[in-house]
Amino acid sequence: MGAIKEIARGMWTTLSMMFEKPVTIQYPEVKRPVHARFKGRHELHRYENGLEKCIGCALCAAACPADAIFVESAENTDEVRYSPGERYASTYEINFLRCIFCGYCEDACPTEAIVLGDNYELSFTSRREAIYPKEMLLTPVPEGGKPTPQTVEPGFFTRSIPVMQNPTD
Amino acid sequence: MTKQITLTIDEKQVTVPQGTLVVDAAKKIGIDIPVFCYHPKMEPVGMCRMCLVEVGRPVIDRTTGQAVLEADGTPKVQFGPKLETACTLPVSEGMVVVGMSDKVKAARKDVVEFLLTSHPLDCPVCDKGGECPLQNLTMAHGVGESRFNYDEKMHLAKHVPLGELIFLDRERCIQCGRCVRFQAEVVDDPVIGFYQRGRAIQIATFSEPGFDSYFSGNTTDICPVGALTTADFRFGARPWEMRATASICAQCPVGCNITFNIRREAKSDGEIVIKRTMPRQNEQVNETWICDKGRFAYHFTEGKERLTAPLIRRGDDLTPVSWDEAIEFVAQALRDAGSDLLTLASGRLSNEDLFNLRSLSDAFNGKTALYTHMAGGDLTAQVGVGQGTNFADLGAGSVILVVASDLEEEAPIWWLRVKQAAERGATLIVANPRPTKTDRYASQKIRYAYGNEAATVLAMINALSAKRPELPGKVQATAEIKNAAETIKNAENVIALFGSEGLGLEGSAALAQACANLLLVTNHTGRANNGLIGVWPRANEQGAWDMGLRPAADLKAALAAAKMVYVAAADPLGDDPALAATLGEVPFMVVQELYLTETAKLADVVLPALPFTEREGSFTSGERRVQRFYPAVLPRPQARPDYAITGEIARKAGVDAETDSAARVMGRIAASLPDYAGIHYRRLAQVQEQWPIVGRGDLYYGGTGYENKQGLGVQLAPAAQQGQAPALTWPQVAEIAVPEGSLLAVPVTVLYDQGITVSTSPLLQTRIPQPYLTVCPAEAQRLNAEAGDLVQVSLGEQAVKVTLRVDENIPAGVALAPRSLGLPIFAPAAIQVRVAQKATV
Amino acid sequence: MTEIKQYVLLRHRDVPGLDQLDVYRQEGGFAAFQQAVTAMQPGQVTDVVKASGLRGRGGAGFPTGMKWSFIDNNNWPHYVVANADESEPGTFKDREIMEKNPFQFLEGLALCCYAVQANAAYIYLRGEFWQQAHFLDAKIAEMEAAGLLGEHLFGTEYSLRIYTHLGAGAYICGEETALLESLEGKLGQPRLRPPFPPSFGLYGKPTIVNNVETLANLPLILEKGAAWYRTYGTDKSPGVKIFSLSGKVNKPGNYELPLGTTFRQLIFQHGGGLPEGRQIKAIMPAGASSSLIVATEQALDTPMDYESVPSVGAQLGSASVIVIDDSVNVAWLINKTMHFFKHESCGKCTPCRDGTYWMMHLAERIAGGEASWADVELLREVAGQVKGKCFCALGEFSIEAVLSSIERFPADFEQITHKEA
Repeated sequence: MGAIKEIARGMWTTLSMMFEKPVTIQYPEVKRPVHARFKGRHELHRYENGLEKCIGCALCAAACPADAIFVESAENTDEVRYSPGERYASTYEINFLRCIFCGYCEDACPTEAIVLGDNYELSFTSRREAIYPKEMLLTPVPEGGKPTPQTVEPGFFTRSIPVMQNPTD
Repeated sequence: MTKQITLTIDEKQVTVPQGTLVVDAAKKIGIDIPVFCYHPKMEPVGMCRMCLVEVGRPVIDRTTGQAVLEADGTPKVQFGPKLETACTLPVSEGMVVVGMSDKVKAARKDVVEFLLTSHPLDCPVCDKGGECPLQNLTMAHGVGESRFNYDEKMHLAKHVPLGELIFLDRERCIQCGRCVRFQAEVVDDPVIGFYQRGRAIQIATFSEPGFDSYFSGNTTDICPVGALTTADFRFGARPWEMRATASICAQCPVGCNITFNIRREAKSDGEIVIKRTMPRQNEQVNETWICDKGRFAYHFTEGKERLTAPLIRRGDDLTPVSWDEAIEFVAQALRDAGSDLLTLASGRLSNEDLFNLRSLSDAFNGKTALYTHMAGGDLTAQVGVGQGTNFADLGAGSVILVVASDLEEEAPIWWLRVKQAAERGATLIVANPRPTKTDRYASQKIRYAYGNEAATVLAMINALSAKRPELPGKVQATAEIKNAAETIKNAENVIALFGSEGLGLEGSAALAQACANLLLVTNHTGRANNGLIGVWPRANEQGAWDMGLRPAADLKAALAAAKMVYVAAADPLGDDPALAATLGEVPFMVVQELYLTETAKLADVVLPALPFTEREGSFTSGERRVQRFYPAVLPRPQARPDYAITGEIARKAGVDAETDSAARVMGRIAASLPDYAGIHYRRLAQVQEQWPIVGRGDLYYGGTGYENKQGLGVQLAPAAQQGQAPALTWPQVAEIAVPEGSLLAVPVTVLYDQGITVSTSPLLQTRIPQPYLTVCPAEAQRLNAEAGDLVQVSLGEQAVKVTLRVDENIPAGVALAPRSLGLPIFAPAAIQVRVAQKATV
Repeated sequence: MTEIKQYVLLRHRDVPGLDQLDVYRQEGGFAAFQQAVTAMQPGQVTDVVKASGLRGRGGAGFPTGMKWSFIDNNNWPHYVVANADESEPGTFKDREIMEKNPFQFLEGLALCCYAVQANAAYIYLRGEFWQQAHFLDAKIAEMEAAGLLGEHLFGTEYSLRIYTHLGAGAYICGEETALLESLEGKLGQPRLRPPFPPSFGLYGKPTIVNNVETLANLPLILEKGAAWYRTYGTDKSPGVKIFSLSGKVNKPGNYELPLGTTFRQLIFQHGGGLPEGRQIKAIMPAGASSSLIVATEQALDTPMDYESVPSVGAQLGSASVIVIDDSVNVAWLINKTMHFFKHESCGKCTPCRDGTYWMMHLAERIAGGEASWADVELLREVAGQVKGKCFCALGEFSIEAVLSSIERFPADFEQITHKEA
């Protein structure tokens, strides 16, 4: 008798599941929103005026435990300006097969240029494809800004590292 | 024997010679007292206050003169009321130095905090980041948060070009004064200095062009922050991204030890490239310095026009072929030409390359010719400086004789070494037709007319010995000559350097012989710090002489007589257009080169070689030190090392030769040349600890110079040191006759010229002058010309237009013609000059 | 304490026209020099000066005779440099000597040269004293014409020439080694010591650097003797001193008084006291380089000599007494001194170069009412960080006014700062 009771209890557990809301979501038609500070694919951010925040300092490359970032720097001029200050990243590549999405690069960045964003939908069909160059990482030019390289007023954008605020979230 | 002093530093005892500074004594036992302004190769100044330590001295009873003891019998030590700078304090017996106390740590924190108040937040964009002592000391001693108001920071100019080679960032400067002191004290080119005072103090340059010094690059090594950086390396790479390889500078016979830093980069299409050149410490050769030519001119190896495939002339054109085909073709030509082979090679090649070339030529009984304008390398092998020679050992009691050389132009680091020896008390005797920078340190100066170089030296011998060769009447034994002779006779050590100021082959041969005789007669050969040094035009000229090559007395005739000419690392046509016809008529010419030179354009076969950055090999410096260089970057595909090319050709032609590795060729050299017996690559790679300690993690002293871990080289013993003193032979000396209405053009060397190893370096192109000729004001007047005018120089059938310069120090009747700068003048020659175009104001 | 009946240094106040050579000679001038050159050994001159107990009047108070005896007699030639850089704020004594009693100064300089056997002397004047330099050049020319300078003086083997040299407006060039650097044509930054100028001075040769006032004492000391000189002043600080009184007093100016005169006597008796209705608050006895003395009754009765002034927490220095009254907020005062030191810092050593710059900014904000008490604390800390680390005395003295003000007059700072951090 007891055995049947147990079986019935078990079956009730299973049956009751029918009335529970499923946790499955219908990806890719429906996508779960990501949490704040989700570590997805990197983005190289820009300032409001369109200049790139990245100054090519390679601290992200130094911090990366997986050696996934490759940076080469070059000189800005006021005629051809990519970022404020003297220096910008002429080459910036992240190898997403090496990257472990730890976020150390984001911590290291002195200008808040490299930020891990929300995109987790990364797939490649070859190793070469997994290496994202700068063009694929830069965020689009914000409203009111101009694309880089820009020609600017001489002596205006002299400061490489902006005033930093403590993070609020 | 200097007195030894024992003291205690941070509870460790150390014994050092009297006169040692506390900061160096600490370094010897592995204690790094932080410094910014101190550098072991300069006088201490005690400016930055970073090295403040607590110093205690044993208390001595004034009345008895005895040490006062504590209760337990140890000497009572009285500590001073204030901290003292370790860098200015010589050690004293029983001193107790404390670097680890709270007081000292607080002092270090205070000084770092002060330095950071106005230091800009530039680390991410600063080239020094990663190898910066200020960064390291901030991590060790700095406060975590700044207490200084950001808006009150002192702002100064950034990215100020000091000349084209160096950038200054005045904000980053921590006013340590190392650069200013280096320029003033070490290299005597005070072209930079402090400007303004207080917090506004900043570096400024006083020369036009800015920072006009051949040694300016060294200041970027010793600058403890990113204030002085090179334009060449700007934003090149981070220090941790680069690897280091050892090499030897291929520009001049000093043989400075260098380190190349390399990186694989996208800018260069994924190639591994050299990002910068740094000095590698070798206290016996270049200490921790290199000149700007050695620092920046390596770019000549990187030109896009480098030869990338063997070429064979078919019809009028040179067409690319495979190596097998090219080698077969050349081997066949060799068999045909046999003993009518002329091999022309220059001192730009390594010992291994030259040995293989000579072996190949010998196998066919051919002739070899060293492409050079300077003779005497056989003499330096006999009476060269002895083993164990080190300019740093010369001081009072030593004599250095510099004849016919503008040493700073011909071999800047030797100029520096000689200058420092003079400052230590060595007697410097300079014999030159015109004043040069070496004069500043000379205690005796001898002036002679161009053409009387050897005669002047012979006159010195005449003043001392009974053997009196015939001398031209014009060369009298003046008081200066007699004085110099006596000084040389009485000196303990004598090193004579002879250059090629105003000399060609004949003149330099005579001069070399005269100098050798002078040294033999006065007994200054066959031991360390005594002997003859040739200031050769190229890095491995001494090696070329050692390998058996000799210059051809008449190159044109030798070329005309040959049926096959094998040219390696030489461009006779580029240097002298008059050879066009002769070279054009050579039946078969093989040119082994890096680029398609003028000579190569006339060749039947062109073989692409590798520069020293892409392969191994060894150079023998002018001090006869054999030093090894290592490959820095991958070799260009299809190009091969010179020794391998020659070796393959030899083998194809049935001659036994090494092709596999330079080390194996060196093995053959050691086996066949007695002077090189016992030289092998492992021995060349041996190192020992040197002082000062550079290149370690502390980064304090040598800045970012590199520790030498890959070889100090081996100095060869000259024949005289092996008991084979040569006999005296007297050179012929004759006066140079200049026809009426002509000037005597004399070739001189300038550091930056249009030679292939400088002109292909874009950075240095701005320093290469326009082709010029220099005369004295009286001559200019006779020509009705002024400085800046374009003049036509007629030399035989050639005419070249160059700019005229005027210098009051040039003797009358003489015109200075810099080598490799447009004028094909290789020996003193008569020229006619007339104004071609007046300068537009 | 012997009162001054006749001036020793400011004798032109007794004798009009003393700046004329004939008047000076009538008063006995150059007799001492002639006596020394013709009848005394150089060492004897030094002995007299040693016995007199004369101490350097430039601020350090080092015994003059002792300094002369340190000169290296194995290294020649010797030089003497007269330090006429007088840039300490509140100091204007040397100017009056040079302008009004030049020959006494020049004779003193000549005596010093003879004592140390120097044949060339240089008067280094601050750049702003070009008029005084021209004036002295004329006086030197007069001396040469009268056979008091030049070759074979008074028929002996001894020769002497005196030259003037102008600085270029830097207080640091009053520091003796910075002065020597400037005189040699180099950047005016102090040198490492040891070695000291009597061993390694001008061009590396033994050099005596003395202040103008110190030298001006010498003719009368030699003429009237060391014992006479000792009748003035105290035992350890003998002689007379010119006190340059300035600040909030009715009669600012130079006052020649024996050492040991009290502050009260100087300020109230000679200086005419403070303006109507004002109370004395603080005294700066050594110009801008002093600590502030709280003007208590005890302090006012302190004798002004090298030993007694430290007992009230300051140094006598060059005796440039600046009087502060209750209308002055010391925060304003130290803003002034910090601006001065920041401007004058030579920049050689880190603590002074960056420390004075930092302190100036802090003092400026505090004085401007834009700072909090935390900033005052910070200023005190920064000054403490500068202390004991500087290459020369400029940096070390720059903090005296700051530290003493905050410690002794905290109310002034409390009044001017706001509570918010």
